[in-house]
Amino acid sequence: MDLAAKLDEVLYQVSNPVRYIGNEWNIIKKEWNKEKIKIALAFPDLYEIGMSHLGLKILYHLLNMEEDIICERTYAPWHDMEELMRNEGIPLFSLENKKAVNEFDVFGFTLQYEMSYTNVINMLDLACLPIYSKDRGEKHPLVIGGGSSIYNPEPLAPFFDLFFIGEAETGIVDLMRRYRELKDKKIPKEDILFELSRLPGVYVPGLYKADYRDGGKVVSINPVRDGVKEKIRRQVVRDLDQAFYPTKFLVPYMDIVHDRAVIEIARGCTRSCRFCAAGMSYRPVRERSKETIIKLADEILQNTGYEELSLSSLSTIDYSDITELVKSLSRRYQDRKISISLPSLRVDRFSVNLAKEVQRVRKSGLTFAPEAGTQRLRDVINKGVAEEELYDAVRAAFEAGWSTIKLYFMLGLPTETIEDLDGIVQLAHKVLEIGREIRRNRKINMKQVQVNVSVSTFVPKPFTPFQWVEMISREEIEERQQYLRNRLKRKGIVFSWNDPDLSLLEGVFSRGDRRLAPVLESAWKKGARFDGWNESFSMENWQESFSENRIEMSEYLRKREPDEILPWDHINMGVSKKFLQKEYERALKGELTGDCRSAGCTGCNICFELDAVMELIGGEKDENQGKI
Amino acid sequence: MKIRARFEKLEEVKYLSHLELIRLFRRAFRRAGLPLAYSRGFNPHVLLSLGPPLKVGMIGRNEYFDLELSDEIRIDSFISSVNRELPEGLRILEAVSIPEGTKPLMAVINTAVYIFDMTLRERIQSEEKMLEKFLSENRIIVTRHRRNKEDIEIDIRPLIFAGELIEPGKWKFQVKCSSQGNLRPEELGAALADYYTEVEFVPVVNIQREGLYIKIGAELYIPSDDMVIGELR
Repeated sequence: MDLAAKLDEVLYQVSNPVRYIGNEWNIIKKEWNKEKIKIALAFPDLYEIGMSHLGLKILYHLLNMEEDIICERTYAPWHDMEELMRNEGIPLFSLENKKAVNEFDVFGFTLQYEMSYTNVINMLDLACLPIYSKDRGEKHPLVIGGGSSIYNPEPLAPFFDLFFIGEAETGIVDLMRRYRELKDKKIPKEDILFELSRLPGVYVPGLYKADYRDGGKVVSINPVRDGVKEKIRRQVVRDLDQAFYPTKFLVPYMDIVHDRAVIEIARGCTRSCRFCAAGMSYRPVRERSKETIIKLADEILQNTGYEELSLSSLSTIDYSDITELVKSLSRRYQDRKISISLPSLRVDRFSVNLAKEVQRVRKSGLTFAPEAGTQRLRDVINKGVAEEELYDAVRAAFEAGWSTIKLYFMLGLPTETIEDLDGIVQLAHKVLEIGREIRRNRKINMKQVQVNVSVSTFVPKPFTPFQWVEMISREEIEERQQYLRNRLKRKGIVFSWNDPDLSLLEGVFSRGDRRLAPVLESAWKKGARFDGWNESFSMENWQESFSENRIEMSEYLRKREPDEILPWDHINMGVSKKFLQKEYERALKGELTGDCRSAGCTGCNICFELDAVMELIGGEKDENQGKI
Repeated sequence: MKIRARFEKLEEVKYLSHLELIRLFRRAFRRAGLPLAYSRGFNPHVLLSLGPPLKVGMIGRNEYFDLELSDEIRIDSFISSVNRELPEGLRILEAVSIPEGTKPLMAVINTAVYIFDMTLRERIQSEEKMLEKFLSENRIIVTRHRRNKEDIEIDIRPLIFAGELIEPGKWKFQVKCSSQGNLRPEELGAALADYYTEVEFVPVVNIQREGLYIKIGAELYIPSDDMVIGELR
C-alpha cells in the first residue's frame, strides 16, 4: 500500500490533520534503502506535545547526521485518527518517508510520563507488533526506550527489548550500529540482546529476573546468566559545551505547546529539592559557555525563523552569569523583534527583574513555585524560599505590569498538616492583596489582579529522598482539596487541582514493578489511551484492570522499609541510596541541604559514581566577550 | 513598501489551516531576511494579511497575500528569496508593488472559482444537462453548520454566479466569496449530492479553488490587476 497517497486521501476526515503530514521545514527525508540502519523515534503522546520535547529533537538530528542511519518520527494518533487507521488498515507510520514502523530496524520510545504507558502499548499494536518482547522475533524491529520516566522502567519491562539508561546522545549511535552488525549475522534475538547488554547504559530487562512476595515486596532482582552486569549505570554527557546540539530544528506547522527556538543553556540542577526526580537524576550540573550559546542561537534563529528564543534548563536563573547572557542576547536580537523567554523563574526579585527586561511580550502571567504553604514544610522539602522573598518577587512582578500570578503548590507532601494547607491559603490571599494595592496606587491602567493557585498532588518518585514515603490516600487527597477549595473561593483567586485518581495511578506506576505490565495490558484492551487527558481518562477501566489481575493499588502506594529491595535498585542513577536515605532523615528533622555549586559537596556521590564533574563555565570571561 | 503576492497552495500543504499558513509565511520571511515592518505596541507582529481562508484539505491555485516591508526590495529578489524558504507545495507565482491606500484583499475580493472533481455513480444523462438543470433552480437550500450555534437553512442559489462543465467529471463554479455573503464550497458539494442521486458526496480533497477575483459587472479581475490596484502604481 502506498501510505503517502492513502493518507493524502483520507486525512481530511480527522481533526488537525496537520499532525500527521510531516513535511515540516528542516525535515530530514533520506532516500530509503536497504543498507541504511533505520530507527523510528516515537513520542507516545500527541504531535504537539511530542514535537515540543527537546530530547527527541536532539536525538533526531544527531542520528540523522550519520550517513548510514535513517531516523524518522512518529507520534500517538488521537482517537479519531486511530479509528481511521484501524478501519482503513493503515499501520503506524513515520512522518518522513511514510513507512510502516515495522519496516524499521529499531522502534525507539522516549518515555516522559507514566500516564502515557498505554499509548506505548497502543502504538506497538498499531505498528502491527506483538506487544510483549518475548513474542517478538528477529524479524521485528528492536523496541527500545529511554527518557526520564524510565529511571524506573520496571512496569514497562516486559514490553521492551531494552532500555537506555541516561543521556542517549552518549550511546545511541553505537547501539544502532552494533545492533545492525548483530542482526546481519542472523543470530537469535536472545544472543543479540545479550551482546547489546554489554554496551554502557543498556538495560535488557529480559536478562534479569525479579522475584516478588505477597504484599508487593521485591525479594530479589538478579541477572539470569553469567556475563550480565549486575547494575546498569546511567550515562551522562561530559563537556556539554562541546556536545552535539542541533541548529536546523524542525519548524512545525501546527501551533505546538512550546513553539519557539530552544537552547539548552545548562543541564542538571543541584538545589536538592527533595521531591524532585529531575533534580536528582540529571546531575551533575553542566553549563554551556556564553559564546557557544550565542553561536547556536544565531544559527537556530536563522535556520528556523522563530520569533522567540527560550533559554532552557531545569533552573535557568541559576546559570552562572545569567544576567550577562540574557542582556547580550536581548541586545543582539532587539532589531529583529525576537523575544527571549526564561522558562523557569526562581522565587525572587532578581528573576522577575530579568524577565521584565527581556520579555518583549507581556505574557499573561508569571509563575512561581513555592511548593508548600509554610516555612516548616518548605524546609522539609528543601525548597529554599522564604515567605518574604515570595512577597518581594510578586511585588516586583505586579510593579512591572504583570496582573496574573500563578502559584504552584503540592498537596500531600510528607509531614503535611492542616497548618500547611492554611499556609497556602494565606499566601494566596496575601499575594492577591499585594497586587490589588499596587493596582490601586498605579497611575496607568492595569488589568484586574488574578492569582491562580495550582495545587497538584505529591507523587513519591524513585531516586528521590522521598522514594520510601507513603502516598496519601484518595480520601485524604479529596478532603484536602475540598479544604482548600472552600477557603480559596474569592474573586481574584482561581484554584485548580488534579484528578486524584490520575495522581494515584501515577504514584502506582512511578514506583511500580513488572507485575504491573498485565494491568497496563488489560487497561489498554479496555480502551485506555491518552490517560493524561481528561476527556480520555476512565478510572473504571483501571479499577477493573487491577482487580482482574488481583493487584491492589495500595501495595504500590505504601511506605517502603529502609532496608527493602526497591524494584529499581539494579539501576544506578549515580546518586547513592545512602545519600537519599540521609536526605530523607534530614527532611524529617527539617534540616536544609545546600547547593553544591556554592555550599560545597553534599555527598550525593554522583561525580564519583558516574565519573563526571560539574561544568560551571557560564561565568567565565572570554577575551572576545567585548565583541558580543 | 507594500507587496501583493499571488501564490499556490498545493497537495503537500493542503492540510494546513489558515493560521498555520500565516505562521509559516512569517517564519519564511524571517529566514529570507526580508526588511519586515512590524505593528506597534507590546506585541509587535509582521504586517501580513491574507485573502479569504481556504478550507483545510483543499488546494488553491491562485491565492493572495499583502505584506508590508520597511525598505524597498526588488520584486524578483523578493520572490526568489521567499520561495527558497517555502516548503514543497507552496510557491509565490507573482508579486507586485502596491501603493499606500490600496484596499485590503478582504475588502475587494468578492468572487471565488472552484473546480469540483465529481464522482458519478452512473451516467444516465449528460453532465451538461445535469448542471444546467441544477442552475435553473430558483432556490437551493442547504443546512449550514455554525460553530457554537444552531444549524440554519440557507438558500445558496443567489451565491452561485455561474457554472460550467470543463471536462467530464470536472464542474467549475463561480461563486460569491466576500464578507457580505460567502458560499462554502463544501455546502455546494453537499447540495449537488443532495440534488442528484447519481452524484456521490464530494469530499473536500476533491474540490480546488482555482482563483479569487474581484467581479465588477460581468468582468472578473485578479487582485493584482492594475485595474484593482489603481492608477497610483
